[in-house]
Amino acid sequence: MELIKIHDYLWEIPKHGAMLVPGRIYANAHMIDELRDDPSLEQVANVACLPGIVGYSLAMPDIHWGYGFPIGGVAAMDAELGVISPGGVGYDINCGVRLIRTNLQFEEISPCIGNLADALFEAIPAGVGSQGAIPNLSVEELRRLVTLGANWALQNGYADPEDLEHTEEGGCLPNAEPERVSEVAYKRGSKQLGTLGSGNHFLELSRVDAIYAATAAKSLGLDLGQVTVLIHSGSRGLGHQTCDDYLRMVGGAMAKYEITLSDRQLAAVPISSPEGQAYLGAMAAAANFAWCNRQVMMRLTQRAFLQTLRMSASDLGFSLIYDVCHNIAKFEEHVVDGRRRRVCVHRKGATRAFGPGHPALPGAWRDLGQPVLIPGDMGRYSFVLLGRDTAMRETFGSSCHGAGRVMSRTKAMREARGRDLRAELAQLGVTVLAQSRGGIAEEMPAAYKDVADVVEVMEAAGITQKVARLKPFAVIKG
Amino acid sequence: MDNDDQQFREFEHTGDLGIELNAPTRAELFRRAALALAAILVDRHNIKPAAQRDLTVEADNDTDLMHDLLTALLGLFTIENFIWCDAAATEAGNGLRLIVKGESFDSTRHWLNREVKAVTYHQLSVTESAYGWHARIIFDV
Repeated sequence: MELIKIHDYLWEIPKHGAMLVPGRIYANAHMIDELRDDPSLEQVANVACLPGIVGYSLAMPDIHWGYGFPIGGVAAMDAELGVISPGGVGYDINCGVRLIRTNLQFEEISPCIGNLADALFEAIPAGVGSQGAIPNLSVEELRRLVTLGANWALQNGYADPEDLEHTEEGGCLPNAEPERVSEVAYKRGSKQLGTLGSGNHFLELSRVDAIYAATAAKSLGLDLGQVTVLIHSGSRGLGHQTCDDYLRMVGGAMAKYEITLSDRQLAAVPISSPEGQAYLGAMAAAANFAWCNRQVMMRLTQRAFLQTLRMSASDLGFSLIYDVCHNIAKFEEHVVDGRRRRVCVHRKGATRAFGPGHPALPGAWRDLGQPVLIPGDMGRYSFVLLGRDTAMRETFGSSCHGAGRVMSRTKAMREARGRDLRAELAQLGVTVLAQSRGGIAEEMPAAYKDVADVVEVMEAAGITQKVARLKPFAVIKG
Repeated sequence: MDNDDQQFREFEHTGDLGIELNAPTRAELFRRAALALAAILVDRHNIKPAAQRDLTVEADNDTDLMHDLLTALLGLFTIENFIWCDAAATEAGNGLRLIVKGESFDSTRHWLNREVKAVTYHQLSVTESAYGWHARIIFDV
């Protein structure tokens, strides 16, 4: 694959073949060397062939081989002339991360970490073979839930109004159409509200161990040594099934719109088509389930803290800093080729990173820029960033979403054989509880890039600004 | 990784989980794929064949049939909480009839390997050659 260096942290795949726009990859020289023969670059080029794509087919520095789109991919389609691709959102619709602050200092609770981890492991089920913390929901109730999103949690005692203010889109996409979600999808979601899921999903207790921008950190309520909680999860079986249902439907409809693509997983139809509109209604419903799911888990986590530490809610000071999604397609306005255009931005393993002053940001953080939450692996650290104006000019207001895998799950399992990874992580000061075998082995720290390198590329390219680093001390895995 | 007792091979995929299977007949290929999915989800050794489920799946082609059959089985696990340790497959016109034997997943007795979100279409293939039948499947995990 031919790559042209734009600057030290940005590389371009020139337009060739059926590409409608060039591809652009944010990476340092070492990363790009590793990527040269990786299938993910081919995927960046394939996305550039989607009808109606504008600007560039983008990839963030955590890019890795996905299915259809690369993980870490961003593509904006003209809202009138472009296509929507369910594979460009992914199976885990509105997979995302939320960051919660507390009034606690790490030293205060260090004697209770084991008890706290046990309580959280009990309170937040994985969702496989276990009853969720919420009783099974009827299809009728699920239809209400996917219409309301995080508002359902508010109405049912699992949220405070300010939680919703600090959630991307207020925790609800208004165009959800519950009747577009299949019965099978509802069945898969019926007992999964308030559950983490396995894979790379987690609940992590961390302490703030570095501050890079003191004023911004203070504004966000972050201080050195402070205990924070990161929750990474998505729309569970309801979202997975919704994606699967629409991949089939959209794949079957492409011929009608004379769309041919190299990879079936990229299946796409015009946004304005009946199939495109149906998917968008279903996708919004699944996204709303995900916001509600993370909100419910936040409240369950708060209860576990209160019961374990036997303190008052005001002393605990559990409050949401922000909730971001990193698998989504959303309509936004961006300047493309010098003209303001309405586009549908697909972010597949990429985080929205709006710059300071953007009207979509909550009042408290508007002047700072959007908080961008970047989890790393469970042995190292995660980062809190802020979106910058450059992101609005170059990446449709988008940033990376995590460390990015470098090792296949198969290889990670092989590497883990004969090793006691829990003991190794304990040596690093991290207590890990997992409900599945793969929860620890496949997610071992060495399976991921160093997220610090990924974040440095975004910072050097001017896309985001580092605010704080979070060091995990207890991790609950599905 | 070779899984001799499970008759599938995992191949390297950075983000997800890919497997390849071979079988002498079409029905046997689908049977092995069903057992491979069970092994990916749960350690199969502790599963008792106490109950059975009967599935008939039809599709326009074998690739779609593989996707739809495995997706139906995934639904059996995620919706009905049923995990299987044995399977029998028979041809049913363009489709396939699969009887799986197993029991309800019980986290106190069964060891969950990982959750599978979906059977992807990415590089999904079912082919026949002079050497028999072959499938390549990538699961989103």
